[in-house]
Amino acid sequence: MNHTLDVQHLSKQFNHDLILSDLAFQLEKGEILSIVGPSGSGKTTLLRILAGLETPSQGSIHMYGEEITFQKANQRDISLVFQQPLLFPHMTVQENIAYGAKLAGKKNKNKTSDLLKATGLDRFKNYFPSEISGGQQQRVALARAMATEPEIILFDEPFSSLDPKLRHQIRYWVRDFLVDQSITGVFVTHDTEEAMIMGDRLALFHEGSFQQIDEAEVIHKHPANSFVADFLGGHLIVDEQHYVPLKECSLEPFNEQEVRSYHGLLQHITFQNGQAVGHIFLKDLDHQVSLPIHEHVSGEEVTLYIKESSIRTFGGSAL
Amino acid sequence: MNVKKLIFILVALLLFVMPVLLLLLQSFSSPWRFQSGESFHFQLTSFQVLWPASNLWEATFWSVVVGAGVLLLNMVVGIAAGKALSTLSFKGKPLLEVLFLSPVLIPVLAVAMGLHLFMIQAGLADTVLGVILIHLVPTIPYSIRIFHNSYAQLGNRMLEQPIVLGAAPLQQLFTVELPLMKPAIRSVTFLTIVISLSQYAITSIIGGGRIVTLPMIFFPFLDTANTSVMAAFAVWFAMIPLAMYIIVEGLLLLLPYSRMPWRNTR
Repeated sequence: MNHTLDVQHLSKQFNHDLILSDLAFQLEKGEILSIVGPSGSGKTTLLRILAGLETPSQGSIHMYGEEITFQKANQRDISLVFQQPLLFPHMTVQENIAYGAKLAGKKNKNKTSDLLKATGLDRFKNYFPSEISGGQQQRVALARAMATEPEIILFDEPFSSLDPKLRHQIRYWVRDFLVDQSITGVFVTHDTEEAMIMGDRLALFHEGSFQQIDEAEVIHKHPANSFVADFLGGHLIVDEQHYVPLKECSLEPFNEQEVRSYHGLLQHITFQNGQAVGHIFLKDLDHQVSLPIHEHVSGEEVTLYIKESSIRTFGGSAL
Repeated sequence: MNVKKLIFILVALLLFVMPVLLLLLQSFSSPWRFQSGESFHFQLTSFQVLWPASNLWEATFWSVVVGAGVLLLNMVVGIAAGKALSTLSFKGKPLLEVLFLSPVLIPVLAVAMGLHLFMIQAGLADTVLGVILIHLVPTIPYSIRIFHNSYAQLGNRMLEQPIVLGAAPLQQLFTVELPLMKPAIRSVTFLTIVISLSQYAITSIIGGGRIVTLPMIFFPFLDTANTSVMAAFAVWFAMIPLAMYIIVEGLLLLLPYSRMPWRNTR
């Protein structure tokens, strides 16, 4: 059986810096993978290699069993949506969308008008990119990538230049659109929430390789290592091997015998979804945690209690 | 109307429109001197003197041929080198940029003298091709510079976007790069043609008197001291870049995704 995309032993080296090291993953038709990791970790480089804009130092990329590692970018059936919309300023919205399809000689009026309708840009089809808003531009960029009917669309933080509210709307729109058209997608972001909304699976990228690839729930329940737990939040990392889910931590003492406690400093209280959240710095662990608190917690000094029985070991679904 | 606009119009009138108008008027009138008391005499004599001059048409022809050749080569070399400089990164790039600029730092006459020997050996002396090539020396550095800036302004991401959408290099050049670099193309057109048209010394050295361009017959006309004929010649001279510019502008309209200037955009 052939995967839509099969990446094996992919490495990339710039001068002496190893950006990607021995990366491997597979994608099935219609699947969306979110790659999440800190800024500057090489996620963009990975996408550029998949799109063919850069060549890997080592490893192979196969699409439906056919090797495309050294195929030119303009011949790959993969589209890339950049961080900025990068619309062609001298073409109208409609011409922008039809551009790729027209080059391939499969210009299809219906397809373009379908995409215009689906993006809600029908009214603006004869506008120039400079005459529409940032969110609309990003939707045009997306429609343009779709119009070539690629097997895979890669997204490089496409919403990062939009304001939060617009971001929220467009995420769901893109997600529905991809599912609707059963397009395989790779979605790169540094925002875990966005990654969970967009992807069927989550891949945590750090130091050139995936720390864990799985569904969001599995990763949350069984983080593979301290990086994963720390990046996602939601866990108190006790040491390199052990962690405690935050929901099992408490600021009230437990009535059990085997209880650990840490002294902490309550730095801020913020409100999220109607719930007060305390940001507590634990000096012993040199670690900051955020957990729901009752508003009547007084003073700056707090004590965090955890049961010995709730301490777990990393390595749930590690690679 | 605000003051700034007024000042602009006044300066433009004084320094640009008026002199050109005077030149035009002079070419259609008999020689006229300030406070001479004579009135304006309309006449076509100056053009009647100019046009029958046997070498005028030949010189015009060669000027156009040389100018067009120089322009074409400048476009090709300028675009290729400009794109390479702005998209590739390699060791010694700053050095290469300086080298590309060096022809305008060295007196062009010195270059021409040296190249003359080579041209003779290569059989290019006294030929149009030789003249075109020597005219590249004072023009190409500017073209490379202009296209380099233009590509840098487009940005590498904008150049990668068409590739991702499946454009082959030539398709990309004609559908995205050239349409977005129209201002640069216009600058290069004017600059190269005007520079090429005003080369006297290097044209005569390499052309060896066989390739006669307009500036070479301009000087004999200076002897006449007839300002009307001189004005007519200058007007004629100015027609060439203007005509070339109009032709290039017409060609630009043929590029994909061009809109006729009179057509509303929406």
